[in-house]
Amino acid sequence: MNNITLTIDGKTCDGVQGDTILEVARRNDVYIPTLCFLEGLTPIGSCRMCVVEVEKNPKMLTACTTPAQDGMVVHTQTEKLREFRRQMLELIFAGRNHFCMYCSQSGDCELQDLAIEHGMDSVRYPYLYAGFDNDATHRDIQMDHNRCILCLRCIRVCAEKVGTHTLDLQKRGWNATIVSDLGRRLGESSTCTTCGACAQVCPTGTITLREFAYRGRRKDCDDVVESVCPLCSIGCRIKAYVRTGSIARVEGTSVTEPDGGQLCKKGRWTLPRSAERERISVPMIREGSHYREASWEEALDLVARNFQKAHGADSDGILVSSLCTDEELSLFVSLFKDGLGMERLDTFDGDVLRGFVKGFEPFRRQGVRPFTAAHNILDSDCIVNLSADPDEEAPVIASYMRVGTLRNGASLLNLSCKTSPFADITDVDAVTATPAQSVALVEGLAELVADLKASGSEAQEEGKISVGELAGKTGIPEETVERIINKLAGSQRPVFVLGGCLSRDPGAVTSAVNLAIASRAIFEDGIGVVPLVVSGNSLGTINTVLAKEPWIGRKKLDFLYVYSTGLVPEDEESLSAISGTKFVVVQCPFWAQPLVNFADVLLPAPAWFERSGHYCTIEGERRRLNVVVPPKGEIRGLASILKDLSAGLGVEPEKPKESPCGNLFASEKPPADARMVSLEEVRN
Amino acid sequence: MAFYRAHVLVCKGTGCSASGSSSVFDALGEEIRKRGLDQEVALVETGCHGMCEMGPIVVIYPEGSLYCRVSVDDVPEIVEEHLYKGRLVQRLLYTTPDRKVKVPRYRDIPFYSKQHRIALRNCGYINPDNIEEYIARDGYAALAKALTSMKPEEVLSEVKTSGLRGRGGGGFPTGLKWEFCRKAPGDKKYVICNADEGDPGAFMDRSILEGDPHAVIEGMMLGAYAMGADEGYIYCRAEYPLAIKRLVGAIAQAEEFGLIGDNVMDTDFSFHLHIKEGAGAFVCGEETALMASIEGERGMPRPRPPFPANKGLWGKPSNINNVETWANVPNIIRNGGSWFASIGTEKSKGTKVFALTGKVNNTGLVEVPMGTTIRDIVFDMGGGILKDRKFKAVQIGGPSGGCLTEEHLDLPVDYESLTAAGAIMGSGGLVVMDEDTCMVDVSKFFLEFTQRESCGKCVPCREGTKQMLLILEKITSGKGRMEDLKILEDLAVMVKEMSLCGLGQTAPNPVLTTLRYFRDEYETHIRDKKCLAKACSALISYLIDPDKCKKCGLCAKNCPVKCISGDRNTPYVIDQEKCIKCGTCLEVCPFQAVFKE
Ligand SMILES: Cc1cc2nc3c(=O)[nH]c(=O)nc-3n(C[C@H](O)[C@H](O)[C@H](O)COP(=O)(O)O)c2cc1C
Ligand code: SF4
Ligand code: SF4
Ligand code: SF4
Ligand code: SF4
Ligand code: SF4
Ligand code: FES
Ligand code: FES
Repeated sequence: MNNITLTIDGKTCDGVQGDTILEVARRNDVYIPTLCFLEGLTPIGSCRMCVVEVEKNPKMLTACTTPAQDGMVVHTQTEKLREFRRQMLELIFAGRNHFCMYCSQSGDCELQDLAIEHGMDSVRYPYLYAGFDNDATHRDIQMDHNRCILCLRCIRVCAEKVGTHTLDLQKRGWNATIVSDLGRRLGESSTCTTCGACAQVCPTGTITLREFAYRGRRKDCDDVVESVCPLCSIGCRIKAYVRTGSIARVEGTSVTEPDGGQLCKKGRWTLPRSAERERISVPMIREGSHYREASWEEALDLVARNFQKAHGADSDGILVSSLCTDEELSLFVSLFKDGLGMERLDTFDGDVLRGFVKGFEPFRRQGVRPFTAAHNILDSDCIVNLSADPDEEAPVIASYMRVGTLRNGASLLNLSCKTSPFADITDVDAVTATPAQSVALVEGLAELVADLKASGSEAQEEGKISVGELAGKTGIPEETVERIINKLAGSQRPVFVLGGCLSRDPGAVTSAVNLAIASRAIFEDGIGVVPLVVSGNSLGTINTVLAKEPWIGRKKLDFLYVYSTGLVPEDEESLSAISGTKFVVVQCPFWAQPLVNFADVLLPAPAWFERSGHYCTIEGERRRLNVVVPPKGEIRGLASILKDLSAGLGVEPEKPKESPCGNLFASEKPPADARMVSLEEVRN
Repeated sequence: MAFYRAHVLVCKGTGCSASGSSSVFDALGEEIRKRGLDQEVALVETGCHGMCEMGPIVVIYPEGSLYCRVSVDDVPEIVEEHLYKGRLVQRLLYTTPDRKVKVPRYRDIPFYSKQHRIALRNCGYINPDNIEEYIARDGYAALAKALTSMKPEEVLSEVKTSGLRGRGGGGFPTGLKWEFCRKAPGDKKYVICNADEGDPGAFMDRSILEGDPHAVIEGMMLGAYAMGADEGYIYCRAEYPLAIKRLVGAIAQAEEFGLIGDNVMDTDFSFHLHIKEGAGAFVCGEETALMASIEGERGMPRPRPPFPANKGLWGKPSNINNVETWANVPNIIRNGGSWFASIGTEKSKGTKVFALTGKVNNTGLVEVPMGTTIRDIVFDMGGGILKDRKFKAVQIGGPSGGCLTEEHLDLPVDYESLTAAGAIMGSGGLVVMDEDTCMVDVSKFFLEFTQRESCGKCVPCREGTKQMLLILEKITSGKGRMEDLKILEDLAVMVKEMSLCGLGQTAPNPVLTTLRYFRDEYETHIRDKKCLAKACSALISYLIDPDKCKKCGLCAKNCPVKCISGDRNTPYVIDQEKCIKCGTCLEVCPFQAVFKE
């Protein structure tokens, strides 16, 4: 890297070859006004607010797009620049409707801020009052084109980060407006995922999220707390805005992160809306078909008595949400597993996780990490969907897959028991009739591709499967199989996204890793497989509460302690096991239906915004959940409740042997050394 | 090969085709056959001669006589008189507007005699659909010379020596641009031909593509060889179907002859060429927008740097030149850079094609050496002002150009002088205006165009030109205030300096030059609420002179809003309240009783 030195407004500023003038200025704390620029998005130089003058260059240069050069002498605050910037702002204000007193973003608007900063107290041009559309067709997102300054941030974030390319520009010149899906209004769009990223980056009052507009502007908030979204396995970083003790809105963080600072529709809406839900605020005890309030002592006493009875009869169990933090999971383990020696601990959707754990096991034993950080999808040149439905399971993964395909030119293959969720951009769609055929396809491909990559030819060895046989076995036409093999063989860094109907089957998981190894899907941190585990801390349950073998529903139990965060619905299998249990304790922050109806004792729990701790995410790192708003009233943290409970039971919790994330992300050997394994090894 | 004693060239350019040259061509064929002359007389279709106004054009060699406005009815006479009896058909010859002299020979017509044709060398001479005719005129000789006896650097250096500059508007030295691209790291490079020709009134690029497509192709291949590119795109306006057809045919023929493809002329040089139809917006002619459009994105300009030479089409080093620029290249390689550099002025070498339009007698395409004066173009080639009116201004450079006055008549036309005067060479549009032209109206006209064609991306162009246009509309409707001139001028300066792409950066030029040279006209509109040229309809009224009115009632009959009353006994009067100022009455009155004030 070449270091360069510039003089900006008399200050000596250091930069690196390839930086723009703006980047150098910002890094050296020199302020240059910007409006269309947003870090992380391709700069387009449209608002012209960031113009600077460079000595020996007669042109006005936009700092956000002009590469800095060694020795440049830059002026950012000349009289001429100030006048031009002011003219620019006046033109924007005159062009469309910017009567701030009627705008929900007033006080929270980058345009307004700039106007104030530039002392723009009057506008010398006539107001044009055009009457553009105020698009209210979308349920949650409002788009008032009368306030749009055409900075194109929304288009860029939607195309470059979300990858749906829902938004674009229509018409020319002064009549240009933002449009969705080539000429529709936003509510009629078939591609919009309602992620709200466009609203998050819009610097004006054009795109707003109606719900949050009324809860107060960002600037009026008392606090902004960084945390993580627990809803899916990605664990997006979030910023939660707090106003008078409640959550006003939730946004993604920096656009420079691989995820682009976006949130998916789950994070955007479920998190802040949960703050409005009805809480379980005091312990309750069932009386017939009703609940009555109880003190903590009384409730915990009842729990302890019923637990002890069942424990003696080996008829007890604990079911814990995978949206718990590492610390919470450890608390359960230290009391029930290590302290009381209980076997029956598990998490919801445990089977999915066990599928992954067992399927990964042979590779673990080799000392390699059989999966890679999710954002590496963006670095891949061939993205393979293995039965996943990313838009449902982990929508940001879907964004990675779309962006990788549309912008980075990767191929997209779908090898699955369902048609590709990315119908328009899928290069090869290989859909089998049954999940078993899907696994067979993956395993057969692994053999064929391995041979091809190893020998460089398609010469067939004795006893190995042929393309024709594989086609016959899986019902996928021979030419399709050939195309897949060619794509995988020709790719430098394929990546395999694994989820949905395949993940319960360890064999399917192993075969996916085999195919990844065969096609040299090798990333720095591990093998190119992205497992779509269920929720924010599914990985953290592996070393803690996850049972080795399934027990839920296998036997009628006398006692079940259920800990739920109330944010995602429980799976049916777990629910029916709960309903069949004699005595059920449900600890949950919200009146989560139908779960709470099964409870004999209801215990309050802190909600996601009242807790802190860590998540092991499929982004390959531990991320921290922080308390956004402290718990009120009778709501107590898990640690103090379990402490009382253990006292009631007369046991001393043991410090857990393993830390949840522990060796999860470790790799003892370079991933390139990984060997394929035989499926028999896993299945038996 | 048959020998013919005469060649009959029928122009099948867009202009002449529109005025019916195809049926003339067919009729000539029929008539020649009927007369049994088809073994002696060859009938050839050609591209544009640049004098489309006078079309359909028919030229007959060996005499080299040019017949204007030939119709099917003239065909028997031409064949009978000229081809059979060897007598020129006097009434169809070109007539000079000033002295009404018939000019028997093509090259003696003043419109042509002062021209120096390099880019247009073959236009009108050869059948553009036949590669052999191009080859017969030394076509592809330059390519053969380059591929067999010159290194790429030598081709580049010839172009640098020639001093050729871009003919698409900017006038950037072509050799230098090629050098940037040649030096840019990358093993995949593109050459692009900008044939989007969006300037209203300009049609030189169309004429070249229609009349001599191989010259452009050969030029691009020479460029590709010099820069190390192996693939090219011609981005052609979709409104030019004939040009596209000719290009498709020319590429197919060149491929057939082994001139395009892998290992051209058995050398290591390979070249593939594609045609991309334009998206129909003026701004798509801007080079970065054009490349976005080829890539399938919305044609919107991108900030430069990075320049196309480093990051162009699909992020690869690319070189884009205008049609006319490319068409000059084979000539330069064939005749040498210094030959080209001997033509023109010190800093502007070679020739430039202008599209001469407006209030002149001869309109059309003229190719003149750089440095020719405006007077020569307007008065000698253009044959002076229509109806002998007074010259007022020329607008050079299309909507991005500026208006120059009588005092600039002896200005040598080259890049530097034009820019200094506030105009630009642009693509070479040259509109002549007479005393009936209102300069405020003219600047409004051009600004309306650029305002409509702005892509809407950047604030100064999108919002600034809109506000400027509103001010001009105010002024031309008599509602302007003196303060508006300052606001207008400030805006114009700002838009010029602050806009992202060339469209916005040049859009204020018509306004700035008219403010500079014709400020009094603006002031008259504002102060006296008068348009002296009587062009701004809001500031004029149509009146009937009762003394001249013969009470025929024609005006009343034709008035679309029926606001004229009168009868056999009372002179006709126009109800000023209702009059929409369409000017119909003035046109229809046989006695010149209607006048404007
Ligand atoms: C708004 C706009 C429209 C343009 N249209 C054309 C065009 O139609 N044809 C053209 O050759 N150049 C056009 N240009 C200039 C091109 O951007 C570019 O400079 C040119 O193609 C370079 O070729 P040259 O160096 O041979 O002139 C246009 C520029 C602007 C800003
Ligand atoms: S968008 Fe901003 S500047 Fe425009 S009205 Fe709203 S607050 Fe004011
Ligand atoms: S909500 Fe998301 S998907 Fe929809 S338009 Fe906005 S950014 Fe695009
Ligand atoms: S809607 Fe907002 S983000 Fe999009 S262009 Fe308009 S102002 Fe910019
Ligand atoms: S100057 Fe005009 S045409 Fe060019 S980018 Fe700006 S808005 Fe678009
Ligand atoms: S056409 Fe002329 S002459 Fe006839 S009525 Fe009208 S003004 Fe009079
Ligand atoms: S911030 Fe640089 S042009 Fe908008
Ligand atoms: S088209 Fe015939 S002279 Fe131009």
